[in-house]
Amino acid sequence: MPVERTDADGIVTLTLNRPDARNALSLDLILAFRAALDQVRVDQSARVVIVAGAGKSFCAGMDLRGVMDDPATMGRMLRELAEATVTLRNLPCPTIASVQGAAVGGGCGLAVVCDFAISHADAKLGYPEVDLGVSPAVVAPWLIRKIGAGRARAMLLRGGTISGTEALAMGLVDRLAPQAEVGSAASALAAALMAGGKNALSVTKRWLNELDGSWDSDAVLRGATLSAEVIQTEEAQTRVRARMNG
Amino acid sequence: MSDAAVDDTPSLRVDGLGTAVVTITLARPASRNAMGLQFFEAFDEALDAVANASTSAHVVLLRAEGRAFCAGFDLGACAADPRLAARLVERLSELSQRVRSMPAVVVASVQGPALAGGCALVASCDIVIATTSARFGYPVHRIGISPAVSLPILARSIGGGAARTLALGGELIDGARAQAIGLVHELVEPEAALPERTQALVESLAAKGPGALRATKKWLNELDRTTDATTAGAAAHASMGTALTEECHAMIARVWER
Repeated sequence: MPVERTDADGIVTLTLNRPDARNALSLDLILAFRAALDQVRVDQSARVVIVAGAGKSFCAGMDLRGVMDDPATMGRMLRELAEATVTLRNLPCPTIASVQGAAVGGGCGLAVVCDFAISHADAKLGYPEVDLGVSPAVVAPWLIRKIGAGRARAMLLRGGTISGTEALAMGLVDRLAPQAEVGSAASALAAALMAGGKNALSVTKRWLNELDGSWDSDAVLRGATLSAEVIQTEEAQTRVRARMNG
Repeated sequence: MSDAAVDDTPSLRVDGLGTAVVTITLARPASRNAMGLQFFEAFDEALDAVANASTSAHVVLLRAEGRAFCAGFDLGACAADPRLAARLVERLSELSQRVRSMPAVVVASVQGPALAGGCALVASCDIVIATTSARFGYPVHRIGISPAVSLPILARSIGGGAARTLALGGELIDGARAQAIGLVHELVEPEAALPERTQALVESLAAKGPGALRATKKWLNELDRTTDATTAGAAAHASMGTALTEECHAMIARVWER
């Protein structure tokens, strides 16, 4: 299964499960993640959701292998990812990203959609899209909501990646733990959140989403379209292929 | 009233036209790169030249000579002409919008004070690299002018809380505080390292995909609505109104005479 779900006393953990590919977001994985999120939304048993990645890395971003020649599939992957982020954001319970190793591009996008992100000092996070001639348009609305428009602008235009320590300073992640303890820190936070009233947490989250426009899928979907357009340009095709062959 | 010494050196210097990186240097250190009508005219000409260059720039670097990045409006000229401050507010609004809207990524490299109009100009850039000893702020209520003109970009960039205290309080903040609130994105110490670190940043940007940078900047402008002309116009109008009052003329005269 590309996404595994485990349940423990109301804490639902969704684990991206392609460790050999550093959990890169293939169409299969994105579809499985969407389906898992829809299930969580429908069955309403979750009090907290943890999003995690199997293996050494949280998520290496979009899996572009095999789809550079296939704009239709590429567009679909970006749209499905956009839909998944909207569903994740609008779950009625708090969500936590448990980020070890690397969270890059779309992977970092998933981390900032969650209400909390936990990582470690030497983790690698960020949006190197522009380095490859690709645009992070699809995740931009979420990053703006997480760290503010000015920081998001500087971060997305500069590309590259930053350390967990730097990510904490700019609000991209909310707390750091020693690398081996990121998962248990996420569980501890989930347990602490369980102390809050389910309804109160749900109302607060819905209100925060209302205030920052998170329920509005339009900007995210238009971002997906824009990202899909940019990746078809010669600039992007040349740079991505060079990276894949390099 | 003290005589404003006429400084007829060019306000700006433009280097690298027709290449990926164009550098605009504020070049009147003796007047702390103060903004007068000539400053804005020279800046417009520089941006026209960038827009019309044979090869379009991917990155525009804005830097300043001397110990101050930019001290804000030329108060000597404003004291001599009571209608000038409002005109400068209008020009500042136009320039900020133009910088924000241009396709290239704009980097500000800041040492020393970047105050009032100078701070507004910095806030309109996409990426700000600054020294720990740089100073930012809007000490303009003391000359009877509202910094409203800068607020549409400032508040959306750094958030409402920080923008409120910076604009209303009038206090100056240093580079470290400016980084903490998100006005500065890369902090440099010591000051002597600024040119080298700026060069490294600009070169790294120039190596990115230029089409991706342009598309991303355009999308960010749409998402954060910082290029919305109606809001920019209304904010400029609010500041211009304050600059045309008797209160403002008297306060500028008092500050300038001191």
